[in-house]
Amino acid sequence: MIDSILLVDDEDLFHLVFEDACSLLDMTLSLEALNSSDEADKLFKQWFEEGPIDERPECVFVDLNIIGSSFDGIELIRKINNDYGNGVVIGIISSSDDNQEIDKAKAVGAQFWIIKSDEIEPRLEDFLKDYSGYENKTAPFKVYR
Amino acid sequence: MISAKDTVEEALRKAKAKKVYLEGNFVKLLAKSLPTDVKAYVEECKERDTKARRKRLEVNKRVQSQNKELEEAAVIKEALVLELQNALDDAEKLRDEAVEDLDLMQKRTQFELIGLIVKVALIIIVGVGVTTTLLYTTAMLADKDTTILGNAWSNLFGILLTNSFSIIGTIMGVKYATEKNG
Repeated sequence: MIDSILLVDDEDLFHLVFEDACSLLDMTLSLEALNSSDEADKLFKQWFEEGPIDERPECVFVDLNIIGSSFDGIELIRKINNDYGNGVVIGIISSSDDNQEIDKAKAVGAQFWIIKSDEIEPRLEDFLKDYSGYENKTAPFKVYR
Repeated sequence: MISAKDTVEEALRKAKAKKVYLEGNFVKLLAKSLPTDVKAYVEECKERDTKARRKRLEVNKRVQSQNKELEEAAVIKEALVLELQNALDDAEKLRDEAVEDLDLMQKRTQFELIGLIVKVALIIIVGVGVTTTLLYTTAMLADKDTTILGNAWSNLFGILLTNSFSIIGTIMGVKYATEKNG
C-alpha cells in the first residue's frame, strides 16, 4: 500500500473516480487531490523551503493538460524533480498517448505514464505491482496502456 | 443517540438498529484484533463501503463517459454549424451571381430586341422613303402629273421622319432607364 498519494487534475469528476478506484484496490489510505499545477507547485515549494518533509506525499499523479493552470503536468514534474528536491514517485495520468509528450515527460524524470480510460483499475493494479521498483528507483519508465 | 457512557456493545447495537455504518478509509485503519462483535460490525461496514464505492465508481465513470461524448458531440456540432454557414455563404454568393447573370442576360436580350426593331424600322423608313422618292423623281422626269405624288411624298416623308424620331426617342428612353436600374 502506498503511504500517501497526491493527484493533480483539473477534472473534479476524475478525482472521485480515482479516489474510489484507489480505495477499491487498497492503494492508499491518504489521498489528496488538487485542481491546478500552481497549487501543487506552491505546496512543494513550501515543503522544500520550510518543511516538514514528512507532509510530502509519497506518490504524485499529474494530469498532462491542467486547464486553469500556468503550466502543464510535465513542467510540474520538472519543477518537483529539479527545483524542489525530488524524493517522490511521480508520473503522468492522462488520456493522451502522444509519444512526443511521453518522451518529454520521461526526459524531465517522470517514472510512469498511465493512460486514463473507462477501465482505470487494471492499470492502477499493474502500477501497484511495479510500485516498489519506482520507490527504490530501479523500475524503468513504463506506459500503462 | 450514542453517548460516552455507552459500552461498545450498546453503541454497536444502537448503530445497527439505526442502520448506521462507518464509511471511508477510517474503517481500514481499525485493527484486525478487535472483539468479535466489533470485528463483525467493522467487516459489515467495509463490505457496505466497498459496495457503495463500486456503485459510485460505475456511476461516475458513466457520467465521465457521457461528458466525453457530449464534448465530442459539441465539437462535431460546431464543425457542422461552421460548414453549414460556409455552404450558406457560398449559396448566397452563387444566387447573387445567378441574379446578376440573369439581369445581364435580360438586358442583352432587351438590347438585341431593340437593335432588331431599330434595324427593321430603319429599313422600312429608308425603303419607303427611297421608293416614294424614286416614284416622285420618275414622275417628274417623265413629265407626268406630280400633284398627288408630290403631296403624298411630302406627307409620307413628314410621317416617316416623325416616326423615326419617335423610335429614336423611345430607344434612348429605354436605354437610359435600363442603365439607371442596372
